Amino acid sequence: MRIIMSLLVLLSPPLGGLLAGNEPPPAPADAPPPLSAHQRTWHALNRLAFGPGPGDVLTVQAMGWRDWFERQLDPSALDDSTLVELIAERFPSLRMDLRTTWEVYWPDLPKGFDELDQPQKDAFFEYRNRQYEIVQQELLDSVILRAVYSKRQFQEVIVDFWRNHFNIDQTKGLCRLMANHYEENVIRKHAFGRFEDMLLASAQHPAMSIYLDNEVSQKPLSKDEREVLEQIRRKRLKDPNAQMGMVATRISRHSGLNENYARELMELHTLGVDNFYSQGDVRELARVLTGWTHGWETVPYGSPYGFVFRHDHHDPRTKVVLGEIYRGKTEEEGVVAIRRLAHHRGTAEFISWKLSRYLVNDEPGAALVEKGARAFRESRGSLRELYRAIVLAPEFFEPSAYLSKFKSPLEFVVSALRATDAHVTDPRGVLFRLARMGQPIYRCEAPTGYFDQTEAWLDPGVFVHRWDFALSLVNGQVAGVQVPATLLEPWRDRKLSEVRTEVVNSLVPAPLGERADALLAKAQTAGQLVGLVLGTPAFQKQ
Amino acid sequence: MATTRRAFLKRTACGVIGATALPGPFVWAHSKTDAEPTRRPTLVIVYLRGGADPLNMLVPYRDRDYYAIRPTIAIAAPGAKDLEEGQRPCIPITRDFGLHPAMESLKPLWDRRLLAPILNVGSTHPTRSHFDAQDFMEWAAPGIKSIQEGWLNRYLQRTATRNDHFLRAFSPQPLLPRALRGEYSVLAAPGPGSDLALDAFADLYECEHGEHAREVEDPKEEGAQVTKDDAEKDPTPLKKKPKKGEAPASPPVTEENLDRRLIDAGANTVQKLRHLNDILRGAKPDRSKYPQGVLGQQFADIAAVIKAEQPVEIAAVDFGGWDHHSYQGGSSGQQANMLRLLSDCVARFVDDLGTTRMESVMILTMTEFGRTAAENGTRGSDHGHGGCMLAVGGRLAGGQVYGKWTGLHPSRLYVNRDLPVYTDFRDVFAETLAGLYQFDWRAADFFPGFTNPANKPLGLFAAG
Repeated sequence: MRIIMSLLVLLSPPLGGLLAGNEPPPAPADAPPPLSAHQRTWHALNRLAFGPGPGDVLTVQAMGWRDWFERQLDPSALDDSTLVELIAERFPSLRMDLRTTWEVYWPDLPKGFDELDQPQKDAFFEYRNRQYEIVQQELLDSVILRAVYSKRQFQEVIVDFWRNHFNIDQTKGLCRLMANHYEENVIRKHAFGRFEDMLLASAQHPAMSIYLDNEVSQKPLSKDEREVLEQIRRKRLKDPNAQMGMVATRISRHSGLNENYARELMELHTLGVDNFYSQGDVRELARVLTGWTHGWETVPYGSPYGFVFRHDHHDPRTKVVLGEIYRGKTEEEGVVAIRRLAHHRGTAEFISWKLSRYLVNDEPGAALVEKGARAFRESRGSLRELYRAIVLAPEFFEPSAYLSKFKSPLEFVVSALRATDAHVTDPRGVLFRLARMGQPIYRCEAPTGYFDQTEAWLDPGVFVHRWDFALSLVNGQVAGVQVPATLLEPWRDRKLSEVRTEVVNSLVPAPLGERADALLAKAQTAGQLVGLVLGTPAFQKQ
Repeated sequence: MATTRRAFLKRTACGVIGATALPGPFVWAHSKTDAEPTRRPTLVIVYLRGGADPLNMLVPYRDRDYYAIRPTIAIAAPGAKDLEEGQRPCIPITRDFGLHPAMESLKPLWDRRLLAPILNVGSTHPTRSHFDAQDFMEWAAPGIKSIQEGWLNRYLQRTATRNDHFLRAFSPQPLLPRALRGEYSVLAAPGPGSDLALDAFADLYECEHGEHAREVEDPKEEGAQVTKDDAEKDPTPLKKKPKKGEAPASPPVTEENLDRRLIDAGANTVQKLRHLNDILRGAKPDRSKYPQGVLGQQFADIAAVIKAEQPVEIAAVDFGGWDHHSYQGGSSGQQANMLRLLSDCVARFVDDLGTTRMESVMILTMTEFGRTAAENGTRGSDHGHGGCMLAVGGRLAGGQVYGKWTGLHPSRLYVNRDLPVYTDFRDVFAETLAGLYQFDWRAADFFPGFTNPANKPLGLFAAG
């Protein structure tokens, strides 16, 4: 029965909420001892950061993990200037508004283009295609560099959570151009703010609008309008050059209702699947959000390109979403609907459950989920309070949570780069490896984003790519990445058998055991030793 | 999990036989020399993720409602007069249905009675969530979230024997489709993997694996040599079937059992991938025969493994991107391009394997749900209910359309909007397993809560 209960909790957050009133069962007599200070430090660095770099364990242990975490909760107060400058210098697209992005990375044909000769035209197109590649690559590169090098590690961990929660696929249409702005102004900007603000920002961002088709969702055509179109179609079959007339032109540009975004808004972004809402609500919410698109006309981001509300595409008739009546004729009713969803109790539970799963345990207990949900509700959706509630709950350091999660490919790769203090000069090699492991960044086609549970990543076969990465990394065979000589410096000119324990201790929280030691004994250099440790089961866990 | 195989791994990798055990005598029990008698049919599953639109795959070209509710995306009837430039009509296969013109490469398979489309097939659960619908279908347990293992994996478990081949099932992509996930270890590998990496870590994972195996093993089996003879004498299933109503064995996630899973996955990576590496290097899949891109490569790899006489029973690939909410296109366009790729891959695959081999191969495509019968306001279609499957194989009674069809009149649609489901996907799965492997899914209580299908058998397989 316990198994069934835990499965129910795992799979259905609302039930989790209903069960939350139950007291947790008393600890059995043979309960494992609480985590030591050493283990807590590792646990915090594994879950609230992308693993420790050299020296991090000592630093955090000296400071106390709690103080470290409180400081991480206020990322802007942490000095990260080196990285911030590097990002600003290398990835200018991340700071641009959408109009500038567009002008720089997909420029219009220059004036007098028609008069240019063919080679000049070709040169322009070549230039523009290159710019288009660059803007996409800058985003991907920045994800890796920030995850590896940011001192605001918790921010990076949390940003990756929201990046998947509000997933967009960079390769869908103009998302190629817009995703950079999305990462900065939707995900990063609000990651320590309020949930409703992030939700609303995502709803109004062109990238989400493109990705989930709301950009084309309009009020349904009336019967008469459809008839006009049909007449034109017939006319044009006979005479392809037939004139449409103004009315028909207007109608022909009109599309109609598209439910895609409205569904995922409730299923994936707020309430959880089939939770509180029905197909009827999906359709009604889609009608509320008709006319929410993007264009050059208004200035929501201080930029001439961005969210646009099209009155002529909006369905002004009465709608009923989750029992609430909407009679509005402006975008305001969509804003109200989204704010209501953000504050729905189902949303508090769903977000708390999902984040608990990410930070604590693949099967978070109902009590923990309720703690997070309560903090979320009581703070009116403050994300910082939600993070605090989950991490400071006793469940976070429960022995059963310790090292119980399998690192996702991103977590594995970034933690290996951090552990080895690697110099990533060009992240493309790393991104290529991630794609081969099944996790190409910003290219998750399904709106679920990448999952973070063990079950999603631990298939027989995946290990070879991790082992290959571990060995290639220390051999300098991951393109664009070098492990610095300083990493191995302390172990130089010493017998490998003597340094083995030190190497192991620098990379994983506990001794590896006999079998792994036998493997490590085969290493001929300290570098190989590091590579082998990165490929052990111990390094795959967090 | 085959415990004796664990014992074997332990011995091979940890010194009793030697760390070079590639491929051990165990493997060759099924290799070329005696492959013919033991070779079992192969089922190739292609999952069209996103909810593929059935009405533009199998076009009901005589249905007036079809053209009324899909004014911009309908596929024209054969011989239609008012075609716009570049527009192509469907390819008639029966007096009521035609194939999308981009599926023309499947027409010869239809003519050879290899192709059996199944209409109005899907889930008994009404969800329109991609992700729940996929899970329910891949677990073959609509609405039952306590089942967490794929139906294909459950089949592999229930029929596991002592001499299961390393590549009894595999998926040529980085991660397994959920239908293949579960306790039975199945390889996911998008092509060969690094030998260097396998060699470096083989001992560690295999030996740890052996240690774990020792803990769980039946003491009587300790030290028993597994030989081909033994295997033939004792083909008993190694997995006990759970009692009715019993929860699946899903231990809580802790470090200890994560360790076990890591070791298990690592050891299986070594064993299975070494074998796949060998085959793919030996067989040299001719990827040039297939359409360019990942799907073509995957079909080429599967064909190469089959042609190397490996007893692969199940191969599964995912083909994503079928969620055509807007601008799905008609006879050309987004969906058409994908249909062409799929059809060409299947046709090349059938051709590559040849008639004789196709006698023991079946391809089955599926999708989580169909789409709205009417097009939506953005020249696409939204999430619907009933979908369609395509079955291709030498043993099928192909050349006919399966499944009940009641037209597209709104009164005949599910909640006035979608194709209904008349054929439970479990009917198709059950018939497939029974037809290919004589698997008795009733006796095994294989599909939870599915004991008494309302439908008569579809009769997908040709008699005799």
